[in-house]
Amino acid sequence: MNRTVLICDDALFMRMMVSDILTQAGFDVVGQAGTGVQAVEQYRQLRPDLVTMDIVMPDMGGIDAVREITRHDPSARILMCSAMGQQALVVEAIQAGAKDFVVKPFQASRVLEAVNRVLAA
Amino acid sequence: MDTSRYAELFRTESAELLAELDDALLAIEADGNATEVAAAFRSTHTIKGMAGAMGYAQVERIAHAMESLLAELRDGRSMDADVVAVLFDSSTALREAVNREAASLKAVDPAVTDGVPSFELAAVTALSAGIGAGALLLTGDVSVDALPRRRADDSLRTVRIDLRRLDALLDLVSELAIARDRLLRVTEAVAEHGAHRPLTRAAQDTARLVSALQEQVLQARMVPVGHVFDRFPRLVRDIAHALGKEVHFTLEGREIELDRSLLDAIGDPIVHLLRNALDHGLEHAVTRLAAGKTAAGRLVLRAVRDRASVIIQVEDDGQGIDRRAILRRAIADGFVAPGITYLDDDLLLEVIAHAGFSTAAAVTSISGRGVGVDVVATRVRALAGSLSLRTAESAGTVFTLRLPLSLATMRALLVQVGDEIYVFPAANVVEALEYHPGTIRPGAGLTASLLVRDAWLPVVQMRTHFGADAGVVSAESFAVVVECGGRKSAVLVDALIGQQDIVVKRFDAPRAGEGWFNGATVLGDGRPALIVDLGSLC
Repeated sequence: MNRTVLICDDALFMRMMVSDILTQAGFDVVGQAGTGVQAVEQYRQLRPDLVTMDIVMPDMGGIDAVREITRHDPSARILMCSAMGQQALVVEAIQAGAKDFVVKPFQASRVLEAVNRVLAA
Repeated sequence: MDTSRYAELFRTESAELLAELDDALLAIEADGNATEVAAAFRSTHTIKGMAGAMGYAQVERIAHAMESLLAELRDGRSMDADVVAVLFDSSTALREAVNREAASLKAVDPAVTDGVPSFELAAVTALSAGIGAGALLLTGDVSVDALPRRRADDSLRTVRIDLRRLDALLDLVSELAIARDRLLRVTEAVAEHGAHRPLTRAAQDTARLVSALQEQVLQARMVPVGHVFDRFPRLVRDIAHALGKEVHFTLEGREIELDRSLLDAIGDPIVHLLRNALDHGLEHAVTRLAAGKTAAGRLVLRAVRDRASVIIQVEDDGQGIDRRAILRRAIADGFVAPGITYLDDDLLLEVIAHAGFSTAAAVTSISGRGVGVDVVATRVRALAGSLSLRTAESAGTVFTLRLPLSLATMRALLVQVGDEIYVFPAANVVEALEYHPGTIRPGAGLTASLLVRDAWLPVVQMRTHFGADAGVVSAESFAVVVECGGRKSAVLVDALIGQQDIVVKRFDAPRAGEGWFNGATVLGDGRPALIVDLGSLC
């Protein structure tokens, strides 16, 4: 069975791009969230194998969403997607429970590498 | 990665983000609101991320510089007019860079753009480096992540569709609606020769479903006017700045919905009216203060739903239109008879909306002197709408556009003249009466008039007006009272066929001729009929 993924990003553009990369690599994109609140809600419902999480989102940011998700499911596998210049926030996200990160702009190979690292861990 | 297929998505989404950015900047300018700084930061940040993914290096760099400045403001850097100006300039630069990239619709090699000196970027970085301490200190707990965003909740439930597909869908469903009417007529005729119940029922079910489908397709085309109006606050601000005027601009009813193609078509006319109000309606602060008004002029763009119409108003509290100056000019140019001594609002609009009305230097000092008003009037009429005007000296001016909700179908009165059937938009029909030739008061041409409910209305004989069958003995027996822009006329026709919903096929009336018609339709029996532009008869 294919691995399932929940994609969280406030930009539809970014969600499409990540979704395309992962779908082509054989993942099932089971959900997309545009806010932190939606991310937490959908994680509870879908229990995906993997979450990709943007940092800057409305309602609830990515880092708070990571905290909220891992509070309920410490085994959640979350990959942070950050823009350049957000190193400090990435560290904070890892401390909050994220397993790894990729930096935008995405290259398909980098994203898949990181995804596989997270899933193997 | 092949980014070209994301280019369209980049274009539409960054356009939304740029609009949100402008909203936030306008709010920041108004009251230095800290939450808006965070909103502006988020829009800029998202654009940066998207541009990075597309390889749009220049967009990314401008967004990055802007984001740095916004981050500093968020972290407590003081804000003043200079900072606000830099933010507006960079937002413009960002928009231009986005448009340039989107225009090429392909990813640009970053190595190429890296070498291009960027004027905009230089401006942004230079200005942001030199920003001094300002009067306004931003305080409060600013969290980038804890803010609502107006479209966030909708973004996952909506899908983007090329407007052309919706147009094609509408065309098809409109044709289907005509076929539905024919089907109903045929089954009714069959039923008269002995009912075939299953057939009748199947036809009725089909008709009901087609109507429901038609309704849904029309609904799918409706968008809030905010889609177009939301760019106006920024536009108004920029024009006012350029003119050195102060303005307090308000948008009302941005959630009111209109058919997408209608909304697109009225964008330019509204810009004309806003520009006119700013340029010629609103006075400079000094003049206003001397007249006992507030320093900042008031400008309102308002959308209101009124039954099957949407009313759009552009209202200012400026100096109003100078009727006497317009009248002098109109008489000099031969647009009105010398005997006329006063232009009421309707006549005034008629004069300034006249394509040939002079915009020469002699009238440049006159407010709202009609620049572009002819364009507005023509466009509005082509959309089966109407334009009206109210103005009072030193109190201000209101332009009112009344538009149908949708261009696709319209309630119509079908009339017969000779062998032809013509279509009158029902929205302009006041009443239809039997008429007796004896009640006409003769006069030359249009000045013949008919007494209808204590008022003498100008008479238009369809037969002679359209130049058909002039020699035939008049068979006209009905008068249809029509109203357009507040003026009424009695139009004489042979017979009334009835009311029905018609599917409108627009065409541009031949400009050289007397734009009598502004569309056509196909009747239930498959015959075509012309839609009369009642504005040309009033």
